[in-house]
Parts: sequence; structure tokens; C-alpha cells
Amino acid sequence: MATAASAYHGSWIPSTCGMCLHGCGIKVLVKDGVALKIEGDPTNPDNLGKLCPKGNAGLARLYDSTRVLRPMKRTNPMKGPGVNPAWVEITWDEAYGIVARELGKVRADDPRKLLCALGDFQRILLWGWPAVFGSPNFFTSLGNYCGGSYHPVNGPVDGSFAAINDYELCNYWIQIGSGDGFSSHLHVSGSSKRMADARMRGMKVVTLDPRCSVAAAKADEWIPILPGTDRAFVLGMAHVLVHELDRFDREFLRDRTNAPYLVLDDGHFLRDDAGKAQVWDTRAQAPAAWDTVPPEAMTLEGLFVTEGRPVRTGFQVWKDILVTHTPERMSEITTVPAPTIRRIAGEFVEAARLGATIEIAGKTYPYRPAALNYYRGSQSHANGLFDNMTYKLFNMLVGNIDVPGGHLGVPLDHRGFFVSPGEDGMLKPEPHQLHPAPPFKYPPDSTHLMEWFPIGFDAGQLNTETLLEPERFGLNYRPEAMLLYHSNPLWNLPETGKVEEIMRRMKFVVAIDIHLTESTQWADVFLPDRTFLESTLLNCLEPPVVTGHSVRQPVVEPLGDTRDAYEILTELAERLGFRDDWNDLLNVVCGFTQKPEYLLNPEKRYSDHELWDRYAKSIYGEERGLEWFKRNGHAVRPRTPEETYLPYGQLRLPFYFEFIQRTGEDLRRKMEEAGIAGWPFDNYKPLPFWKDSAVIEDGARGYSFFAITFKEALHTFADTMVMPWLTEVSEKDPVHGGILINAQTAATFGIQTGARIRLTSPAGSIEGLAQVVEGIHPQVLGVSNAITRHFVTNPAVRVKGSHFNRLLAGSMRYTDNATGGLESTARVRLEVMRGWEEEVRYAHG
Amino acid sequence: MPTVDVAALGTARKLLGFSKRRVSFGQGTVADLLRQLATVDGGTLYANLTCDGRLRGDFAVLVDGFSLKPDQLDRPLLGGEQVVTLAILRHLHGG
Repeated sequence: MATAASAYHGSWIPSTCGMCLHGCGIKVLVKDGVALKIEGDPTNPDNLGKLCPKGNAGLARLYDSTRVLRPMKRTNPMKGPGVNPAWVEITWDEAYGIVARELGKVRADDPRKLLCALGDFQRILLWGWPAVFGSPNFFTSLGNYCGGSYHPVNGPVDGSFAAINDYELCNYWIQIGSGDGFSSHLHVSGSSKRMADARMRGMKVVTLDPRCSVAAAKADEWIPILPGTDRAFVLGMAHVLVHELDRFDREFLRDRTNAPYLVLDDGHFLRDDAGKAQVWDTRAQAPAAWDTVPPEAMTLEGLFVTEGRPVRTGFQVWKDILVTHTPERMSEITTVPAPTIRRIAGEFVEAARLGATIEIAGKTYPYRPAALNYYRGSQSHANGLFDNMTYKLFNMLVGNIDVPGGHLGVPLDHRGFFVSPGEDGMLKPEPHQLHPAPPFKYPPDSTHLMEWFPIGFDAGQLNTETLLEPERFGLNYRPEAMLLYHSNPLWNLPETGKVEEIMRRMKFVVAIDIHLTESTQWADVFLPDRTFLESTLLNCLEPPVVTGHSVRQPVVEPLGDTRDAYEILTELAERLGFRDDWNDLLNVVCGFTQKPEYLLNPEKRYSDHELWDRYAKSIYGEERGLEWFKRNGHAVRPRTPEETYLPYGQLRLPFYFEFIQRTGEDLRRKMEEAGIAGWPFDNYKPLPFWKDSAVIEDGARGYSFFAITFKEALHTFADTMVMPWLTEVSEKDPVHGGILINAQTAATFGIQTGARIRLTSPAGSIEGLAQVVEGIHPQVLGVSNAITRHFVTNPAVRVKGSHFNRLLAGSMRYTDNATGGLESTARVRLEVMRGWEEEVRYAHG
Repeated sequence: MPTVDVAALGTARKLLGFSKRRVSFGQGTVADLLRQLATVDGGTLYANLTCDGRLRGDFAVLVDGFSLKPDQLDRPLLGGEQVVTLAILRHLHGG
């Protein structure tokens, strides 16, 4: 792949960026064995030749002088923050020997005693290693803050993993707590181009955010809102559509969802003797099975009595709930004026063009060019299930789910939507797309209580409670060893002090990573992995508008004496005596069970090249093995209209989430039988509404401010904040210069930019320098993730140390009890530190 | 006699003592095949993988790439199919 216009003389090698999880197509200029430049691959329809700052800085990861390039063991048995591990380099054979010996003892005793912190999404196929070892435990998973409640709702609604509005056809885009199309979330490089194009053709963007984020600054309208109250804003808009304007897509709700199904007072559907859900048949004025009544004879609204029992349609139940969610009441919660809620609701439904159709590729679809998009900031809260349900239902009110112009599901990977028929003509709910749902168990096996979240994610933050008080949760063992795989729990988990205590109790810690971090410096053995420019894989993760894999391939000889993570884990599996099971697990997660001719032989060891070659051929055929991908870069193509719009045919979507209530009832019964008392179930509800969460209640305890964290395209996860190229850029932007405080608020407290301030939450406190700005809600303090690292080995990077996650709590009080999603907002007290005038400002000299 | 290619993964492999084998199999159902497959302890795979005639929740059986539901063990096999059987690991990874 040569670029004629390039001023360089060398070879351009196609590959895939690894600076975040999504993997833009790139080409890397290599001359004399040295990588000189990275550019976006213009042939890749995902990122369209664009590349974000992280991707452009990829060389700085490869050639980072602080990378660990050889295996190391610690010689100082003392562990703790600031303790020098006294590393010494060792051979791979010695390193493997130590790790196999120590983990072997754990495995022989009780494999559950291995605690694993997993990162590196692009190599998600490797995340099953702990399961083959025999451990169900994940100390942390990076999705705690983002997708904990998001994915378990996307899956059941339309078989998707994520979601995005239709860049191409949407005309009115409400953006809540998300950087999609501007600065973060799904495939930001290509998405920013698509968003820009949509704006050029006239699409309006309204952004709700406590902070004037990139998405807010570039929007047609920014509406500041209190953190964690976005749902109230949307519930207020739903009230306007249903009770004030009487404008919503009746046909969609009646014909394509379970909104017309009749609901008893106990929250369950009215069912006939055959177990079929009933609707109200207007012809007979009586209930009838849903599949015996033509749509035009079903009623969407109403209260009826059958056999002496009152029944309402699912839609009517939510309509009744919405009565009390007036714009005036929601305004008190959100601080957004009621007229604004009414105006945005009106603009939205007007733009949605109810009843319109559009023909695409010879097929006629509903056309709903207005949609609400959302992500972390709007739903990573203790009632995140209700948040996500609300946003989906609001979109459903205008019938825009998976239709042109509307709110579109995004599949997990190349396999597309998880579509299979469920009961009552519905799409089968798929809340678990990353692994099968674990059955309830008491005592639980997993320390993050995975068996107690039947529709949830993996709530790694609960380890901060369970590992310090295991008996309270019935855990009959304590982990003794830890595997850190590209994960930094001392940075990415809440309640850092508790995490330190947990790590202090570990008898053995092994790290597979590239850098020393807050967490890996606690390791006994460090096994250095290769960077994305030195390793191999095929990648396809959460592609918003495309499908197909792109290749990651070594563009230079690996530096130092590093090994690919796949090779490391395979060698350890071999030495621990379970390489056969490891191969079998790869057979499952790679999908080879669907193509048995590609099954790995459990008795044979495969190189990374052999593995990915089989993977490529199993999907794309014998002609498109790994070598084909290395030459051509990718097999990415735009998703077709059939793959994008209504990919589930006539299956109905859940408007009324009866299965969530049933799941909660089933869990409650099992817990009662097991004698578990005090476990909360109050979020297992079929419909969302407003209720206060812990962060609202903490306000009454004197924590009057809201603290939030945020990121922009410069940074993601932890590793980019130790890259000098990126930190230099971010330090030039005042938004990353300190803890953001509104100018009016700052004046009230006599705070100026550069003042040292302390934020104290119920869980912990942080300090930092104030950055006075106009663009943040007066009751909110903002902490960029760019200033959160507290351990850095690169002398060119200054430690900022305002470690936001210390403010968060990992307990069930701050966890959605149905999804396991974590509350990512903290209530805090604000203090001005004495002597701040003497502090040296680092941000702007 | 028609044959069926059987692949066994994880626990199923350990039960059978092989990972891949071409098995002679006259006309019958998946359940019949599982009854025919002897485990290393002298039992049958059917006895290990089923409960009350249904596939246990912690095992999976795929025929030509398609996963069978628990009540689909009566699916006929005509010969030439590829049957994969495996135990389900529920703690694959976080996210």
C-alpha cells in the first residue's frame, strides 16, 4: 500500500490502531526497520482515513523509553504505594517457571483463588484464560464505568451491543452524556467525520451535559444539567409527548412492540391457558392471544376488566407513570427549565416526521429522522437500568428504533445482531452477549457476585466490598493470587484504599503489560507484552456503520525481549497443564465450533499466526487467510440496509420489560431459599420512572457539589496519560488544567484558577488545582481523566494526581442492583486549601 | 454405513477420551448418537449430557454449526454431519 503523495521513502504497511478498543484502519510508514509515521487508512470505510490524536501518537507507545522490554521479578518483598520493587531482569524461562509454580499451587488448592484484572479489549478472545484456569473472578473490567447498565438493555431491546443515531439520515440529534461523533465512544475518528458531514447538511444537535464538552461546544444548543438526572429530563419530555402533545408513533408501538400486551396489577402479562400474552381485542371487547388479533383491532391504551381483574396495556402502565413526571417536577430535579424540556420535546417529535416512509435499495422503511443518543455520562449511575430503559422508550415513542434516521443498534462484532425469536412474538432477550448468563449459586463462586446478577454485567467494583468482608456475602474462600492483564485496578477501581488493602493481601501477583503502572508495580513478576505495532490479531469491535475485520500486524521487529500476550498465556497454560482446555476454549470463542474443520487440536500448540490464520479463514474462506489480510489490511465494508434497518424482521421489541421483573422475582425466590437477607431487588422493574439514587441522597448529607470525570479524544483508559506527546497537547487545553469549577461558584468561594482545592466524598478525597471556567454547571466540579494518574515512570510526564476514582464507592448502595452498573458521579464537599497562593501552577506556567 | 464426524471439547473430550473422531452411525437421532458414544468410564455420553431426556444447561451440542436447544436431541442425523459437543464455561470474561 504505497502513498504516492508521501514525502517519505519507505513502505506503508496496513494495520489496525490499538490505542483504544475500536481499531481504526491505519498504515504505518516503515523505513530501515523503523516505524516513522502513522496515518489513517483511506481505504477503510470505518475511519475513512481519519485518525484521532491517540492514533497519531501510536509511535510514542512503540518507542516509549519507559516500556518494559524484558521479564522482571521483584526483589523487595515489601509492597505499597511508592515502594521500590527493586526489579531485576530475568529470562523468560525463569519468569515462566516462577509464575507456573506459584499459580500452580493456587490451582491445586482452589483455582477460584486467582483474581484477574482484565483489559486490552482488542484481544478479548484471550479473556477466557482465567475460566480455563478455573477461576470465575474478575477484579476489574474496564466496562464498569461505561457499559455496566448500557449493554444489558441494548441486548434485550434489539439484539445489539451498543447503539448510535443514524449519521446519514438523522436530522435532529439529542446527545446526552456522550461524545459520539465528537470526542469519544464508538469509533471516534470516522464518527467525527460522519457527524461533521451531517452538520453540513443541516442536522441539528442538542447536547445535554453538566460540562461544556466538545459535543456541547459544537452543538446547536447546550443544555447544562445536573449529573445523574438526565433520565428526569427525558421522562419530562416523554410526559410532554404522551400527555400534552398527544404525539407519538401509535402504529410502531402497537405493531412492533409489546406495548399493547395486557398487564395485570402484579406486573405480569395476562396470559391465556396456553401461556400466550393477551391483547385487548376491540372487535370482541375481550382479551385474546396476541397472535390472533390483527393490529388494527388491538388497542394501545386503556384500562379494562376481565374476569373481575383490572388490566392495562403495557403502554398505558407507562403512560400512567408519566402523569407525575411533569416538566415542572423534572425541572426541579435537573435544573433545566420546564419550558426548555417542553420545547425540546416538541422539536424532537416534529423532526421525527411520524408516519413518513423512505425507500432504500428498493425497500420501504419508516423514516424517523430524530433520535436520542446517550452513553456513559447519562446512564452510568446507580439506577442505570432505568436510565437506559428511559432513553430506549423515549426513542420508541417516535418509532425510531432501527429505522432510517433513527436510533440504530450496533452489534458487538462481525456476527451482527443477536437475533432469535423469544416468547410472545418477541425478540429473545439477550442481556449477556459477552458470556453465558451464570446460574444463581450460594455460596457464590465469584467474588464479584456474578451469580447474583442474572441480567447484569460483571460488577468488578463489588470486590472492594466482598474481598474485605467475604463472610458477609457467603464467600467461603479468599483469593491469594492476582493476574493483572493490561489492567490497572489501583487506577480504574473506586475506593483506592480498599484496593490497596486487597492487593496487599495477595501472596503472588503477576502482570502482563507494557508499562509499570500504579498496579503493576505491585507485581512479583512482570511479563512484557508487545505493542499493537509488534503483534498480530484480527479486530472487529462495536462497529457503528460497518462490519468486517481489519488486521493488526507487526510493522517492525519487536523491541527488546517481549512476547505476544497470546504466546504468554499459551505457554503458561502449557506449563500449568491445561493447554488442551485452552485450545478448546479458543475453539469456542473464535467460533470454530460453528466451522468444525477449523477446530484447534487440543494436543497441539499453535502460534499466534496460525491461530489468526484459522480465524480469518473460518470467517472469510480459504482464500482470505492471515496473509491476505496482511497484504490488504482489512475486509471492512459498510453494513447493508438489510443488516442495519429492522434486522430482526417482524419480531416485536420490548416496550414493557416484563422479563426483567420476572428475573428479579426468580432471583428473590432463590435468595430466600438460600437464606440470603438484605439483597436489594428494587430495580427489577418492567418500566422506568424517577427515583432518587444514592448521589441525590448524599446531597442531603452535606455533600452539596456533584463531581464528574470526563475524557476527550486525546485519552482513553489509563495508558495514554503517560505518553508525553499526548500529555503535552492536553496540558495546553485549560479543560485539562485542573479541577473545573464554574466562575460564579468560584467567585462565591473566593477561588481563582490555580487555587489548591480538596474534594471530599463519602468514599474519599482528592486534591488538585482549581481551573475556573464558564462552561460547567454551577453545582458541578469536573475532573478530566488527563489529570488522574498518580504514578508515572516517564520523566517527561508530570504526575497530576487528582485521582477521581478515589471519590467513588464500590458498594451496592452505589451499584445498580439489577445490572451491576456503577455510579460514576460523586457528591462532594469543596474546600479551599490554605497556602494555595504559594503553589506553582503547572497548567499554564 | 454412514458416518458422522464428532468433535468433543473440554469436559466432553475428557469424558470421551478423544477430541475428534469419525463415527459409523446408522440412521437415528442426535440422542441415539450420544447413546452410542461410550465414555472412558464405561457409560455413555447421553447419560452425562442429559437430564430427563433434555440436554443439560451446562453442555452444548452443535450439528453442522447450529446449536441445539435442550429439547432438540431428537434431531435426525442422516450421515455426513459434523457434531460438536462441549461443556459451557459461564465465566468466560468480563467486559
